[in-house]
Amino acid sequence: MKYLHRRICTTAGLLAIAGATQAAGQSNEDLQRQIEELKAVVKTLQQQIGGQGTAARTPVAAPAEAGQSSASAEKTFIGPEATAKADPGAPSANTETTPAAPEVATKADIDGLRTDLENYKYEQKRNRETKTALTTRGTTIGGSVQARYTAQDPAVRTGSTATSSDRSSSFDIPQATLNFAGSLYRDYSEGRNLDYRLAFAYAKNSPATDGSQLNATDAYIRYSPLPTLTGLEDPRLTITLGQQQIPFGLEAQIGEELRPVINNAQFLGGLGVGTRQIGLIVRGDYDPYVDYGFNYRAPLLEYAFGVVNGSGPNKSDDNNHKDYIARLAFTLPVDYYSLFRELKFGVSAYKGKKNLVNGTNVVGLGKRDRYGFDIYYNHAPFGITYEYAEGRDGVANNGPEIKSRGQYLTAFYTWGEQWVASSRAQAKYDDYWPKSYQLFARYDTFDPNRALDNDRTKVGVLGFNLFFAETTKFQVNLNHYDYQNPAQRSSNELLAQFQFGF
Amino acid sequence: MKLASFRTVAALLAGIATVTLGFTAPAAHAQDKPKVIRISYSSAGTGGRPLTGGTSIATAHQQGILEKEFAKDGIKIQWTFNPGAGPATNEQLANGLADFAHHGDLPIIIGRSTGLRTKILFSYTRFGPAYITGPIDSPAKSLEDLKGKRLAVFKGTASQLALGRILKKHGLTERDFKTVSMDGDTLRAAIATKDVDGGFIAPFDLEARGVGKVIYSTGPDPELTSQGVFWVSEEFEKKYPDIVQRVVTALIKVTAWSSEEKNREAQYKLWSNSGTSYYEYQKTFADVPLKWRLSPLLDEYFVENLKKSIVQAREFKLIRRDVSVDGWLAPKYLNTALKELKLEGYWPEFNAAGKPKTAQVAQN
Repeated sequence: MKYLHRRICTTAGLLAIAGATQAAGQSNEDLQRQIEELKAVVKTLQQQIGGQGTAARTPVAAPAEAGQSSASAEKTFIGPEATAKADPGAPSANTETTPAAPEVATKADIDGLRTDLENYKYEQKRNRETKTALTTRGTTIGGSVQARYTAQDPAVRTGSTATSSDRSSSFDIPQATLNFAGSLYRDYSEGRNLDYRLAFAYAKNSPATDGSQLNATDAYIRYSPLPTLTGLEDPRLTITLGQQQIPFGLEAQIGEELRPVINNAQFLGGLGVGTRQIGLIVRGDYDPYVDYGFNYRAPLLEYAFGVVNGSGPNKSDDNNHKDYIARLAFTLPVDYYSLFRELKFGVSAYKGKKNLVNGTNVVGLGKRDRYGFDIYYNHAPFGITYEYAEGRDGVANNGPEIKSRGQYLTAFYTWGEQWVASSRAQAKYDDYWPKSYQLFARYDTFDPNRALDNDRTKVGVLGFNLFFAETTKFQVNLNHYDYQNPAQRSSNELLAQFQFGF
Repeated sequence: MKLASFRTVAALLAGIATVTLGFTAPAAHAQDKPKVIRISYSSAGTGGRPLTGGTSIATAHQQGILEKEFAKDGIKIQWTFNPGAGPATNEQLANGLADFAHHGDLPIIIGRSTGLRTKILFSYTRFGPAYITGPIDSPAKSLEDLKGKRLAVFKGTASQLALGRILKKHGLTERDFKTVSMDGDTLRAAIATKDVDGGFIAPFDLEARGVGKVIYSTGPDPELTSQGVFWVSEEFEKKYPDIVQRVVTALIKVTAWSSEEKNREAQYKLWSNSGTSYYEYQKTFADVPLKWRLSPLLDEYFVENLKKSIVQAREFKLIRRDVSVDGWLAPKYLNTALKELKLEGYWPEFNAAGKPKTAQVAQN
């Protein structure tokens, strides 16, 4: 007992010293709280001593109880094979399965549990305050990095500073992204949430320098006026305000994680429909077809419409006219197991105004219209996407408008489980993630001015993709460029890219 | 540096694909034995753990019965536990990723109505009670008290069909409520936080925590409760009938062990590894003898109840086409297993009304 008492005094003393060393830098409230905590610890220790004293008075019971528990545990069998182990010819004591007596928690057990709980609470609070990134609202942080090797023939000097020879190959980091997302308001009963997203992307300088750029890509808030938790059969609707991808066609709306090709279709850049815009866009669907057998949802109609600046990302509007965009897509209302599952037809339109420039002078406003048609079909393991887009642009000095055209056809064959929702969602202990493998071929053409000869470019792509983790893929693309302009030689390009996300 | 020709690299890509394809060999190919037997389970443990309870098939998984049975053949057993329940299992089959599965009645009916090809091998559950659970301070005392309020059910699963039966009995439909779709974990959380007014889920875990209570219970009503099935894909059954027989025999043996009353407590403890509490298994399995609840028989009750479920699924607009049971059941495997294991007559047979055919058997 003296030893226990001495231990209590020592422990209390150490705690008091620890408290004293922190006193200089803490408020009175903190000190008072720590004193109360120390008192609680001392009281608990005293109670434990009282409990141990009681236990010491009955030393004979514990071994007997332990023996009984051990005996009961030894007799417990689970399963048909375990039952078969019981030998009918053995002594009856060995074949009996006496139920274990119910255990009663002692005061010491409860006090110990309370102490553990208090320690756990304190530890969690300290770790949260000192070792956890904190935000006012819950935030998910993510990003991705692309590491690429390029080999091209003939050699090029595009993007290079002065060199003694053109390059035939290069290692590059073509893109790195960082994004933050979360809910400003979370509706737990129906899911009418107000969410946000803020994303940045790294970009190289051209011509190359040692520095690089970091630009905002997405910066928007998104509200869901209709319920999102009630069930698959209910329509969806979102209103997005801010800088975002515009709902034109297919490829412009697919994120980097899912796009099969390394380089975008030519018309995305040529017509600017892959460029983000700042504005207000409404997206939704109507009359979804639901196959409950597979939790498969196919909206009969998907629609989007909006108004944007038209001047591109990270800029205010540069004229007194807003641009307007609309899209409508129809998906066949068929079951998951149907051959025509995920067959979708879409049309997109973008009507805008742009500043007409003569040299360095703005001389007026001209049209900047884009129209597109697309077909999407994805019935594992096969898939096809086709997209056509046309541009109509005004020119300075009342010249004839420029008509441009781009289109691509992609066929792909995919095997593996990464795109099977149930495989991704399956219960697991480890960091297992299903893999998928994909072969694809693409034919891509772009003509920036249909009135001119010799300005069309054709690109043929053969590719292989390995999706081997939730956010990681390896891609190999072989691109063949065929220029209508006889002054430009056709070229080949081999791209090998490793993209990972976090 | 001169780049390799287009054709050369194209050939290289083809080679890469060929090698990769070789690494992902299909589970079954032209030989007398598969390399792996893939079993989809239409449930998962609490928090998404790959461990379940409540059925003899779950018992077989935890005890590694099939793994032991096929170890000598070098055949691997691959279990997939689906938090997405029956619809997720259907997706597995549709994509050629499941050979056997544990399934509730509605998803397998929907799957068959859209063309999935399966053979029902045996039943694994019947006469289980169903509950409507609400927040602890809910003023509701009956289903009618929940009219116009938020009622959660895991849509697309057997729960939705069972809910439809219950509502019909009381002259109600889903349209009388604001129904939302939630899985089990989400639903328990929603009841605890009062985000829904009621949910189709057992109340006992929530009751034990002091946050939920029973609003409605069916008890072991044979007219209202669901039944589950264990099936094999037609493709696998045609290719490996002997393997199917061994699987069924092993599982029926486990089911016999599970059906013994003397193993009731041990089994609850085993199942509670799933995260569902021992207390909940005690309460939900209390009213029916294990031999009734876990019966694998494809008896008159099973067949008639399956037919009624098909009619109800059509009535509740959960399927768009009629489904026939002709050619769907494969009782030969079960019958052979019962004979081999000398278990004929072990489980009582029930008539179409859900009553034991022989009173003497019911008393066992």
